[in-house]
Amino acid sequence: MQRYLIKRLLYAVVSLFLLSLTIFLLVRITGDPALLIAGPEAGEADIKAIRVQFGLDRPVHEQYAVFLKKIVRGDMGTSFAFRMPAFKLYLQRLPASMELALASMALSLIIGLPIGILAAVKVDRGWDRFGKIVALLGMSMPGFWLGLLLIILFSITLKWLPTSGRGGIEHIIMPAIALSGYFTAAHMRLTRSAMLEVLGAEYIKLARIKGLPESKVILKHAFKNALIPVVTLAGINFVLMINVAVVIESIFSWPGVGQLFYQAIEMRDFPLVQTVVIFGGIMFIFVNLMVDILYAYIDPRVRYSA
Amino acid sequence: MLFRGRGYTKVLCILLLFFAPISLLGLSRLAQAEPKGTVTIAIHVGITPSWFDPRENPGWITPYMFQYAVHDALVKPMPAGMLTPSLAESYKVSADNLTWEFKLREGLKFHNGEPFTADDVKYTFDTYKGAGKALYDKNVKKVEIVSDYLIRFHLNAPWPDFITFYGTGATGAGWIVPKDYVEKVGTDKFKNAPVGLGPYKLVEYKPGVELVLEAFEGYWRKPPKVKTIVMKEVPEDSTRQAMLKKGEVDIAYNMSGPLKKAVEGDPNLRVEYSGGVGVWWIDFLGAQTNPKSPFSDKRVRQAVKHAIDWKAIDEAEGGRSPLMGGVVPEAFEFALKAEPAAYDPAKAKKLLAEAGYPNGFDAGDLTPAPKYFSMGEAVVNYLGAVGIKSRLQTMERAAFLSAWKDKKLTGLCMCNAGALGNAATRIETYWYSKGMYSFPGAGHPKIDELFEKQGKETNYEKRKALLHELQKVMVDEAWNVPGMGWVWPVGVNKKLKVSGMGLIPLFYYTGPFEDIELK
Repeated sequence: MQRYLIKRLLYAVVSLFLLSLTIFLLVRITGDPALLIAGPEAGEADIKAIRVQFGLDRPVHEQYAVFLKKIVRGDMGTSFAFRMPAFKLYLQRLPASMELALASMALSLIIGLPIGILAAVKVDRGWDRFGKIVALLGMSMPGFWLGLLLIILFSITLKWLPTSGRGGIEHIIMPAIALSGYFTAAHMRLTRSAMLEVLGAEYIKLARIKGLPESKVILKHAFKNALIPVVTLAGINFVLMINVAVVIESIFSWPGVGQLFYQAIEMRDFPLVQTVVIFGGIMFIFVNLMVDILYAYIDPRVRYSA
Repeated sequence: MLFRGRGYTKVLCILLLFFAPISLLGLSRLAQAEPKGTVTIAIHVGITPSWFDPRENPGWITPYMFQYAVHDALVKPMPAGMLTPSLAESYKVSADNLTWEFKLREGLKFHNGEPFTADDVKYTFDTYKGAGKALYDKNVKKVEIVSDYLIRFHLNAPWPDFITFYGTGATGAGWIVPKDYVEKVGTDKFKNAPVGLGPYKLVEYKPGVELVLEAFEGYWRKPPKVKTIVMKEVPEDSTRQAMLKKGEVDIAYNMSGPLKKAVEGDPNLRVEYSGGVGVWWIDFLGAQTNPKSPFSDKRVRQAVKHAIDWKAIDEAEGGRSPLMGGVVPEAFEFALKAEPAAYDPAKAKKLLAEAGYPNGFDAGDLTPAPKYFSMGEAVVNYLGAVGIKSRLQTMERAAFLSAWKDKKLTGLCMCNAGALGNAATRIETYWYSKGMYSFPGAGHPKIDELFEKQGKETNYEKRKALLHELQKVMVDEAWNVPGMGWVWPVGVNKKLKVSGMGLIPLFYYTGPFEDIELK
């Protein structure tokens, strides 16, 4: 296991290096931030001065070398737009995103898993049909539309919940529902299909022949084995919820990483875009590693070796 | 007895002498009631700390939504006029047009108690690196502190537009920072904890979320009436509207199109309008002098003028934007008042037929300035209705600015401009052949000649005549197609007596902040 972990860590370093290079180059072909910072009617000399100020006048390979040197020192650069360390800005927004992602993930699993299990157990019957409707709505209803509907109903008409912003528990209800819609459907569908596959396996038939109670067959033998793909998907989705919940965060003015990422892209704020992407990458790698480790606990047959 | 005869009068006099000043002081305090309440504004863009330091002012208007609260300028646009003396009591130019002198207001203090003197003005100017830096480096010889409250700007040559650049938001160089404080904390820290001379102090800034301002009762013009102003960043239009309707915010910027109707239908809200320095026009991107392009024919360009119903476009967006006959806002110095072209599709078709295009032609792409794509779509449809076929090309802001500046846009552009200045500054950027956004082929010999001539003219009336003549050439030649100004509807809660919207000429945001008042 230890050798496996070391190998994975080495892969992670290589992946992050490639990610940093890719995002560094990609972000630079999207346009000149100096133009946006200076504004449409600024003169050439002013635009040039801004390029010098942010080191954008240097050759790209020099800029990349400076960028790497800074990363090694833990400095992700200073945001062009906010004039603050990009990493500090990212950390400021991370708790809000984590909070929203945790609430949405909990909601999607609390709703998605039971319906997925029931849909598989009662295939082509009431629960399955209900599950299909939930999946259809969750997958096809755009988050921004659901968000606006929630605001109109619960904030403007009923006046029960605040329209936007971050604060007490009442602030998170609507964004969590809006963000979890798609993920609930995805978790539900995957649970259903994984359960159907497992329920047809020989060991489930054996368990039933042995006379085990149906609830034990489903929850202990079938669900535990069906959980592996669901855990993998939930892990990836959690990182997605943190980093790219751009639309939901914008609609609810939720001060998270997604909104920051959107502003950074719009402003061509290179250091900030790079920070969000690289830390998103770190999270993906970390969560994938955690999920792989979790497999071994869920399924004792899974063992790792280098 | 104590109160008898001369003794009584004497005591009364003493009491009067003692209490009268106290009573008068009390009355004056009553007249200047303490600021109270909170006004929350939902703004449509993200706030960046570079706005907190006026020395980095760009040539566009957005940062002033904050700076009118926290900072102040020697001269600035105010309800009284575009060039209203503020921190300067008065200003004058020497007879040879080489020296501008500012007499500063005495006894003013920054929010941290530091006194305001000519030192701050010189320091701000010397460390300024905003949109006009290159211009000032070229034109300003030196800044001379005559005394604590008198300062002179010496120019290399007569520069009649100095005060337009210095005293409006065209460059924002006249907005003052406290020298000692900036030197003590450094520029980076100043951007996160700015100290100014304005009617409000910044007390809290949460990047990407909101900023909180508190009344500065020592403000020289008058103490603010509202204790706290909160500016919330809400880029999503529907959310701003929902917050306004639920009473979570009191002012919501940019309620254009259908958003305005929802505000109008709410008994607790009212619609007010911004000022508007922006102007929309159709730009031919240099095709005017390309013999292969239909737009090289003046009749085709005139046809475009008559093909678009700008009034209908405005009604769909907000309903208060003025229709334009020229491309310079009428409130600008030296602007020519020109009649807007009438919407007349029949005339447009006739002009096209006369030019040899009875069945119209393909004009290629039409790129609207982001994010006003629905307006661009309307223009495409109006042009198509008279036979000028075009395809809507949408770009996001950075790509659009880059393509515009690098002269890579093709076909037609539904462009807009929103910087403050005067007719000359506006023309220079877009229609003088050496201007930053002037496309190859868009130069007109007469426009260039008149522009260069007016730049050397120091006589005000003669310069005005030259600039009017220049604008007339643009109108007569249909060198561009002026559309409309750009004024926004703004949603305001009726609990506000004065929102501050529309008070400052051509300004999009609320201000002056000290005029905002709750009922």
